Amino acid sequence: MSFRNILNSGKFVVTAEVGPPKGTDVKEMIHHMELLKGKVDAVNVTDNQSAVMRICSMAVCKIAIEHGLEPILQMTCRDRNRIGLQSDLLGASILGIKNVLCMTGDHVSAGDHKGAKPVYDVESVQLLKMVDGLNNGKDMSGSDLKGTTDFFQGAVVTPEANPIEPQLIKFEKKIRAGAKFFQTQAIYDIEKFKEFMKYARKFPVKILAGFVVLKSAGMANFLNNNVPGIRVPQALIDELKAAGKEKALDTGMDITARHIKQLKDEKICDGVHIMAIGMEDKVPTIMERAGLL
Amino acid sequence: MIITKKRDFKELMENIKNCKSFFLIGCSECASLCGTGGEPEVKAMKETLEAEGKIVTGGIVAKTGCQVLGTKTELKKNREELDKAECILVMSCGAGTQAAVEIFEDKPVYPTNDSLFLGNMTRFQMFDERCSLCGKCILDKTGGICPITACPKGLLNGPCGGCKDGHCEISPDIKCAWVRIYERMKRLDRLQELCEVTLEAKDWSASQKPRTLVTREEKKK
Repeated sequence: MSFRNILNSGKFVVTAEVGPPKGTDVKEMIHHMELLKGKVDAVNVTDNQSAVMRICSMAVCKIAIEHGLEPILQMTCRDRNRIGLQSDLLGASILGIKNVLCMTGDHVSAGDHKGAKPVYDVESVQLLKMVDGLNNGKDMSGSDLKGTTDFFQGAVVTPEANPIEPQLIKFEKKIRAGAKFFQTQAIYDIEKFKEFMKYARKFPVKILAGFVVLKSAGMANFLNNNVPGIRVPQALIDELKAAGKEKALDTGMDITARHIKQLKDEKICDGVHIMAIGMEDKVPTIMERAGLL
Repeated sequence: MIITKKRDFKELMENIKNCKSFFLIGCSECASLCGTGGEPEVKAMKETLEAEGKIVTGGIVAKTGCQVLGTKTELKKNREELDKAECILVMSCGAGTQAAVEIFEDKPVYPTNDSLFLGNMTRFQMFDERCSLCGKCILDKTGGICPITACPKGLLNGPCGGCKDGHCEISPDIKCAWVRIYERMKRLDRLQELCEVTLEAKDWSASQKPRTLVTREEKKK
């Protein structure tokens, strides 16, 4: 069953992430794909994540299909104008890619080509409208397409954004622009996430809670200080500290598994998105501990 | 106004190493306020060049250096000094430099400044970029704050996920343009408008270069 149908069937879905490498050696990436095959419902393929140049998302999505995974094409507005984006969307469609995640994209100043010209000809809300248009047989200029796309389009939201109000205004704009599902920035405070979900449940969209596994108390502090929209509560930092250096990662995996189980058992949201960031091999273990395998 | 910055002096000297004599043209408008082409700067440039062994035949601070005909008229009184100068140094913006290029067909013209942006003077010698000259103003929809300029991504429909405690992902010194817009619209009791309006992708053909504008009515012959 496709990611769209699984999500619409009401089953608790799990998505993971595949980060394309810098260079043409894809052995390790394919190994990660094989670990995830048959376990997750879809994999996000990142689009030059953190503005660091790597293999393009579309090519890796195609490889994912060939390895039995359903890809979610992440598409940012940083590197292509409206012509490039639409052209790539048509290309993705003929390669059999069904899902697209529309995002603005980290600024080039975060990446490894700081002198590059950032594009942002359109932004995430307009990109969603663009996808909706292509699905309905029209390009952005209003011209008819010979053969339309059939994308299941999603977007991102940051439930812990500070201030939250402008973020929620944009969330609602994304829904009106055609977003069918959302994957969130990493969350660590389930009670606060419940509050967000109480609000989000007013809209006919599916929400997948984002998870980044904590490897240590130091990592948690780093995320709190440096990553926008992430807030790790002190209680979790204390838990990681108490576990000691050797057990910290295992405890971080336990925390993630515990949170995922709670979301599923209490039917708080529609699924989870696990961003392993270099620890793809740990995803099956986390899913097992969460009772998902 | 157009914000300018003095070029690195070594770079300037390298550019003009083959010229001996100069005539200096400052500007009493933006460059004067930026401290890059007013009376004191023109005087200082003359002294610096002379100390470097160059000859300065004269100089003026044009009223509006980018106004071609006006500047040409002002320069009439400096005919002799101009004749003696091998080249022209312009101490204003890129537009001022090119006005001089138009006036002096046979002399090399060099800029002493880099032109940076269209901005506001917020305090003495402090400048902020405020307008990107996009050709189609959206300030009426964004509470009078320009996200095309104030947001590094030029986002039109709200903040990105990089907003941290109200500040921008590219620098904690930049307040998120969309948080500013949100706060202002809230103060003006216009939040509903902000929620309801999705701005369409911008028509960038309005900033197709090079742009020209003629507003005067051509006289009937």
